[in-house]
Amino acid sequence: MDDAARRLLQRLVRRIPAQTLKTTLDKWGRLKAAQRQSMDFTQSKWALTEKLLAICEENELTLKHIAELEMIHVIENPDRSMWYALQLMDPEDDAHSVELTQFKEQFKSHLSELVRHVSIKIKKHTDEAVWIRIAWGDSFSRPNHLKPTYVVHHLQTPYVFVTGLTSKLKLLLTQALVLSTRHQAIKDASLSGRKLTAIRDLLMRQYQQVFPTKYPSPLAESNQNATNPLIDKEQAELSANRHQMACEAFGSGMLPQLQSAVYKLETKFRDHMNKTMTEREEPLKCVVKFASTSLLESLRHCASSGIASTPVTPLLSSIPLKGRNYFVITDNGPGPSSQTRQPQN
Amino acid sequence: MESPQNSVARTPSNSAIVQRRSKSKSYRQSYRSCLGAASRLGLTPGLTARRLNSSRRALKSQVITEKVNPEHLAILVKAEWQLSYVTPLYQFRHTQLKSYSRQLSAFIAAEKQQGLAVEVEGSQSSFRVSFSVVQGMAETDDDAETVLIQIFSKPMFAKQDEPQRSVWSGWLTCINGNPDYLHSLPKGFTCLPLFGSSGAEVLTSLVKSWFQQTFDCCFGCLEINQTSLQWLAALWTNCHTESSLKHLKMIWTIPVVPPLQVTYTVDPQDAWELWMSVRMDQLDKSEEEEEEQARNIDIEEVTRFMQGLKSHFYRHFRLDLSAGNLQQVSTALGSAKFSGKIKISSSRYIITTLALLTECALLKMPI
Amino acid sequence: MEAASTKGVLSHLSLLEVQARSRRSRPQQQSRVTELKAKVEALKVQKEQLEAEIQTHQNLQKLRSSLDKQCADEDDVEMEEDSENSELLRLMARHTQLKDLLHAHHLIGGYDVIKTRQGKGVCVSLATAYEGVYLDTYNLEIDLKPAVRISRHNIPPFIPVNSLAKENNMQTHMRAFLDALSQHLNAFAGRKQELKLLKEQHKSVEVMESNVLCSILVLMFTVPKEKTAVLCTLDYIDHSSCLPKRVHLECEDKQLPDSPQWKKNCSLLMETPVHTALTAMRKVGDIV
Repeated sequence: MDDAARRLLQRLVRRIPAQTLKTTLDKWGRLKAAQRQSMDFTQSKWALTEKLLAICEENELTLKHIAELEMIHVIENPDRSMWYALQLMDPEDDAHSVELTQFKEQFKSHLSELVRHVSIKIKKHTDEAVWIRIAWGDSFSRPNHLKPTYVVHHLQTPYVFVTGLTSKLKLLLTQALVLSTRHQAIKDASLSGRKLTAIRDLLMRQYQQVFPTKYPSPLAESNQNATNPLIDKEQAELSANRHQMACEAFGSGMLPQLQSAVYKLETKFRDHMNKTMTEREEPLKCVVKFASTSLLESLRHCASSGIASTPVTPLLSSIPLKGRNYFVITDNGPGPSSQTRQPQN
Repeated sequence: MESPQNSVARTPSNSAIVQRRSKSKSYRQSYRSCLGAASRLGLTPGLTARRLNSSRRALKSQVITEKVNPEHLAILVKAEWQLSYVTPLYQFRHTQLKSYSRQLSAFIAAEKQQGLAVEVEGSQSSFRVSFSVVQGMAETDDDAETVLIQIFSKPMFAKQDEPQRSVWSGWLTCINGNPDYLHSLPKGFTCLPLFGSSGAEVLTSLVKSWFQQTFDCCFGCLEINQTSLQWLAALWTNCHTESSLKHLKMIWTIPVVPPLQVTYTVDPQDAWELWMSVRMDQLDKSEEEEEEQARNIDIEEVTRFMQGLKSHFYRHFRLDLSAGNLQQVSTALGSAKFSGKIKISSSRYIITTLALLTECALLKMPI
Repeated sequence: MEAASTKGVLSHLSLLEVQARSRRSRPQQQSRVTELKAKVEALKVQKEQLEAEIQTHQNLQKLRSSLDKQCADEDDVEMEEDSENSELLRLMARHTQLKDLLHAHHLIGGYDVIKTRQGKGVCVSLATAYEGVYLDTYNLEIDLKPAVRISRHNIPPFIPVNSLAKENNMQTHMRAFLDALSQHLNAFAGRKQELKLLKEQHKSVEVMESNVLCSILVLMFTVPKEKTAVLCTLDYIDHSSCLPKRVHLECEDKQLPDSPQWKKNCSLLMETPVHTALTAMRKVGDIV
């Protein structure tokens, strides 16, 4: 084991919580049965690290194997870092027939062509997701395994999720992705968050959306107020209506746990009470950030309780509708990565 | 007026006893006009004159740095302070600070010996307390001089020659205290209603209990309410031309499940122009005012300013911010939180801000 | 007691024992009788209930047939006047009628469409089914004015909704677009269901690879005698179909894919759903 492998292992043991260390090592499968039994998981992290270093030395494990262990841990605990969504565009005719082996080969060869020193690991997870770990180097230095990039992609879908990617390397990665998935372009999807599952579910539409149908199913949390006899029928109807509209905009039941949405507003100030500002030429520049442990559920509650008016403004309903949580709003129609102020429906 | 360099600090002792009824009346009046050194308390001519002076002075930074020891100012603008109110101190003397330093040191040592966990940032050997007067902060003759308390300590394993580090600091102040109230205090009471602390919670509570035992006073937490936060937003925005805001950031929480937090950050120039537009309407009405800055800021202007910001927000998101609570206001000049934490980053506006908070403290006080 | 004297003491004793036993069992018999009587009662009640149900059902059917015959008949359906539940029965009959209609509607490829936004838009529901089992329902909200445009839907991103709309010229041929989309969705749901059934029914076949669209399936079979592994790739190039357009075999035994038996298996895999094809292959002993 070289120094880089030792350092990676040390950092990894420090990061993996003591109670999950055992199962993670079991999944890794690089320890012999006797070695596994000799591990005492009640010991301090420092002692465990020393013990593991000795075992790895004994089994002649290398940096590659340690990287594998890290990958197992990250796949199980993806919610630790910031994930960004990218969107592949203009698929070639054969894009739909790209299968895993072919993709693996293509991706590795394309990326290796672009960067001289790069270490790539590809693993398929049980949920059909392809996980890629990339440790980057350059023409002079060997791959840095302490700052790897992780990429998650479901083949045949237009979305790619990345974390730990610097803007310098983004171009190289996206180029390799575009070529190996048989697409022509890729763009920023303006969606990011700490919860990989949330941004994935939102884009893959894996949550319960509500539509105006002929046979409306009774919505789960349908107004509890209805039991209160004091509330007259009209009010109950209004509130049921608000609830329906809130669910149509954001979905019903448990929603993807998106944690924030940011709007950069550069729009004119209009208020009949304030002539001076309304007559001003320049837009008012501000940034609005909404944050919650589950933003879509908070917004749904805002709309159903009447704090936000219904029908829900397109600015807010665009979050689930377009699968984005970063918007630039101007009065003059779309620019790059922006959206018109005018509602589209 | 005493010279700021005067080495003997003054503890105003008031013999004039005003009836309680009139005291509480003046409270209500000041509350209605919604606090603040710069608020228009146009109720008694004398009061208005004094307030007018204070708001003008706060904008002249040189005055403050000339008056107040720069080291003291540096301490005040450095930290974020947790605020409390304090009821008037009985038999407090600004001349006795040396003795208080010794007493509080001994008190902390005794508590530590009793097994009370006085562990701050690892193990500390001993604590040294220092009381000092911050000269030149008081705005009127009625205001007692500000008192600064610092606790120093040396880490257990520090070298011999290593200097002691400040591990806790706090202050007691009264700026532009309501004169009616101050005059109403019986003899022997000193009113320093605003207490700020920064450092380990353990030390804060020890200092508080020593004050309680020694000066027969009591402490209570002081929130910075919605109105005060709005006032600060407006006061800071008003300063933008002299000292850049960098941004005007306001945080609301909306009471839904799960709670929603809205952070609204406005470009400083745009915020200032919006502020001036709500000011201007007012200026048109009273053109005889000699100078913009000298004119008092009215609560109505503050409300209109906030209303403008909220309506711009509503126009886009159709979400009513009034349904939520303003939690925090921050600019490059300072930040204030509803929980009673304040940071004043620029010494220029320290007096105005502390005057506003003194009023909050006096209002919150049970007696 | 004559018998006793003639047959001896032992037999007398056994006689006594029998008598005693029978005497003891009498109360037991008694309780058994009540038990049976209760059961008879219960069964009678059940019979009455069933009779009532039959009656109701018959009534319902009568109602249904008259409903079906046509409501145009001015004189309303005759009902037994004494039936206090006549209103309920009428509703139930109407309900079954509507359910059947809906089913027929789906069978002939109808879509559930309702107007939204005061007629400026519609919401279409597309149900998917596989072998008589209803699967997921997908929805599309389509604006009609000012232009025909899909505003919202819950179709997964790997189904090319927009290109289908373009190809079929949704602006003018809504029906063609919906048909194509429905075909895609049903094929996807079918492939997904087949994969699920395959995993349930064929534990000995290993699924080496699959994707979210279920358009590529790599399976590993084991040939029973030689224990050789066969890698089989099913390529569902036509996404609107449940059957693969290409089947490719790989095996260490180079001869195997070209053998007539396995050629037959290939065409079987291309013609029948994968899980049924595998059952057939297993039956003839080609795979474990």
